[in-house]
Amino acid sequence: MSTRSTTVPLSPVGRGSGRGLTLTLSLALAFFFGLPLALLLFQARTAPRWTEVWFAPESLQALAGTLISSIGAALFAFTVAVPLALLIARTDLPLKNGLRAIFTLPAALPPFILGMGWVSLANPRAGLLNLLLGAGTFNIYGRLGIAFVLGTAGLPLVLLPTLAALSRIDSSLEEAARLSGASPVRALLSISLPLALPAALSGTALCFLFAASAFGVPYLLGVTASPPSPTLTTRIYGEILMGQGGLPRAVVLSLELLLLAALVLLGSRALAKRGEVRLSSGKGLSLRPMPLGRARLPLAATGVTLALVLVILPLLAVALTSVQPVWGQLTGLSAKHWSGVLSNPRTIDATLRSLGLAAAAAALVTTLGLGIASTKRRSLELLSGAPYAIPGTVLALALVIAFSRDVRFVLFDRVAFVLALGNTLWMLLVAYTVKHLAFGARNAADGLAQVDATLAEAARLSGASPRRAFFDATLPQLRAPLLAAFLVTFLTCVTELTLSVLLIPTGRDVLGTLLFELQSYADPGSAAVIACAFVLLVIALQLAQTLVTRRRQP
Amino acid sequence: MAGVELTQVHKAYGTTAVVKGISLTIASGEFISLLGPSGCGKTTTLRMIAGLETLDAGTISIGGDVVDGPSGHLPPEKRALGMVFQSYAVWPHKSVAENVAYPLLLQGRPRAEVARRVAEALDWVRLGSFAQRMPSQLSGGQLQRVAIARALVGSPRVLLLDEPLSNLDAALREELRGEIAALRARLGTTMIFVTHDQHEALALADRVAVMHQGVIEQIDTPERIYQSPSTPFVAGFVGGANRLEGRVEGRQFRCGAHTFVLPPGVAAVEGPSTLAVRAEELELGGEGPSLPLLARLFLGSATEYRFTLGDTVLRVVGPAREARPGESLTVSLRHARLYPR
Repeated sequence: MSTRSTTVPLSPVGRGSGRGLTLTLSLALAFFFGLPLALLLFQARTAPRWTEVWFAPESLQALAGTLISSIGAALFAFTVAVPLALLIARTDLPLKNGLRAIFTLPAALPPFILGMGWVSLANPRAGLLNLLLGAGTFNIYGRLGIAFVLGTAGLPLVLLPTLAALSRIDSSLEEAARLSGASPVRALLSISLPLALPAALSGTALCFLFAASAFGVPYLLGVTASPPSPTLTTRIYGEILMGQGGLPRAVVLSLELLLLAALVLLGSRALAKRGEVRLSSGKGLSLRPMPLGRARLPLAATGVTLALVLVILPLLAVALTSVQPVWGQLTGLSAKHWSGVLSNPRTIDATLRSLGLAAAAAALVTTLGLGIASTKRRSLELLSGAPYAIPGTVLALALVIAFSRDVRFVLFDRVAFVLALGNTLWMLLVAYTVKHLAFGARNAADGLAQVDATLAEAARLSGASPRRAFFDATLPQLRAPLLAAFLVTFLTCVTELTLSVLLIPTGRDVLGTLLFELQSYADPGSAAVIACAFVLLVIALQLAQTLVTRRRQP
Repeated sequence: MAGVELTQVHKAYGTTAVVKGISLTIASGEFISLLGPSGCGKTTTLRMIAGLETLDAGTISIGGDVVDGPSGHLPPEKRALGMVFQSYAVWPHKSVAENVAYPLLLQGRPRAEVARRVAEALDWVRLGSFAQRMPSQLSGGQLQRVAIARALVGSPRVLLLDEPLSNLDAALREELRGEIAALRARLGTTMIFVTHDQHEALALADRVAVMHQGVIEQIDTPERIYQSPSTPFVAGFVGGANRLEGRVEGRQFRCGAHTFVLPPGVAAVEGPSTLAVRAEELELGGEGPSLPLLARLFLGSATEYRFTLGDTVLRVVGPAREARPGESLTVSLRHARLYPR
């Protein structure tokens, strides 16, 4: 060993390159999200008197529509998802994995497709159920219909967090209650349910938010209903379509929707914090399903029936619609919609455009999300989740105001011209990426939290630079969460409707807008073909993801 | 308070038999310990007594009433038992007092009685001033004391304890062990205590049932379990005896190439046998095989010497003396037990 002292260049103490990354990401987020939102708020200053717009009869009607359909959806999702979660997570219910998979399927589908299914089933005149049972038996249109479809679509938002919380409760907590004299049902209700309730309630608040922000389903089931059942989102859309005249009203209504969303988010935060109990981390956890005894088969039959009616039936109806020669008549089968749609250049263009945009957005979301997570700054991570909490209609309006040529504002004229994104596909790419950034940041942060820090430290001591250690030791452990972030963003964007319908350049389509147009105005059969193709794509990709993830697991 | 009787109890998970025909009679007021390594079926046996597992065959009765058997299964909430879990199982959303009150509330006791008995039970475990705390504010030892108070508050017929001390650190374990013994002396409740720690079992129980691979190998007082283990497994598990396979030839025990001389007083039957000898029953020197020393470990009150014997390691505990690893030393028997095969 040498005792001669040598001078080794020392790095300055501090975060070094991490600071540059944080700065870049913050600036990008400020420019593409903060600025548009600020401009939206600024715009509201010059708008007509807020109260006049908010308390106009048609606005009150829209607010009532939003509230009733969203509260209905949240209540429906809570009522179905919580008992289901208790049965799946805590008991020996047969077929529970199958039930979990079917009930979480709506999370990967655009709610619009479920809505199309219910139109095919329960249109009062031409719905399949009504053709079978007599006209007018069921009517899916109106506020309650919207609540029902959005409640089904938002069910996973309650089911998944409740399941996660329940699966972190050690069985001995229930067993201690049994030994204290509690029946199985009582043990579930007095021990497991209260412990999972904070998770279930915050999921329910998310479901409310999801329903209040929805555009496609309220448009499909509300605008053509008699009497029409507008919601805030469909009203805002209508005002924007009216051009310069409607825009100020759209801005003021957007603020109302934004305020509603903020109130619900804050409320659910407070609620979750109050009832929060630290559950087991899962280490050394023992889970012994509670035997249901004689109730086993009836409960399983109920679950399967519910899964068939809520999820499978509307999807089958869409499939049937795609092979019905004339909509609303049971007259044999035909492949004419399929051949028509598949050979139509407009469909092919829209499909290619959607696939390209979705893939690009998913790649950006995954990369930027990883960047955000690797700065380890909680504030940046929270901020990147904000666009997802903002209703898509409001976000789209803010982007239109900030970056469109068509909508000019005296003060910000120059800014608008510097970056004339409006009416280009770039605008859509920006919108998709900003909106879904939370997926990337969330998955990457959760993944990073799981990775043992000593892996990278071992690489450092083997001679790797921080960057090299990240790429060689840490990144390979993140494959599964990053793949999940990519797929979920891709699938969400490929049929995205709410943002697309406001930001798409005139004369061009993406799959979402094409679906919307065909279903709303012209040709439900062709819309059903596109929906079917998409459902098949979702199922194929999910199977592929399961296989890839399973093979990687040791 | 009640006795417990198990008759030919069987339990299998799928094709794996976990409990293979256990019969056991526990007197009213008795403290019995089920001792064995993990996977021996002791926890499953306890959970069957609790009613948390069903039997495949056999019967269990508590206080003379059959609670499980061919005629049916009484659910745990109807058995009037108390149970303490390894994981504490203190409900995190209820305060200490609410946790302890729960069994009484389910019994439908009047409010005044509940309050009085909760306070009393918390005094038993020296948590009187903690009634309004939430579990997240308590340490592991305090949580387990809440669990004990909750299990005892409803005057259970039998108290079941499933490795209650295993999650605690050594000092707390010692302390709580003493408290369990004191509570038992005070309340006289029948107790069944499952553990893998021989010290806990020997120190606390009136009788110890040593379990291995789903059967009871020996059931006896702690003294007799320690002094006269009836099988090589019990000798090995309780007291950590060395076990050697070999043959008895006259007054000699041949183990591979090595020959031990059997001391007088060891009953020996000619033929293949297992010899069990505790480390402190061996000594260095005397008449016996010369074995290479593997390692020498200073234990404080004594020194442990490890020798290579065929493909096993022989442990000897004795007074300290100079010896280097690799050196050959003579080892001889002072006492031993032989189990003919």
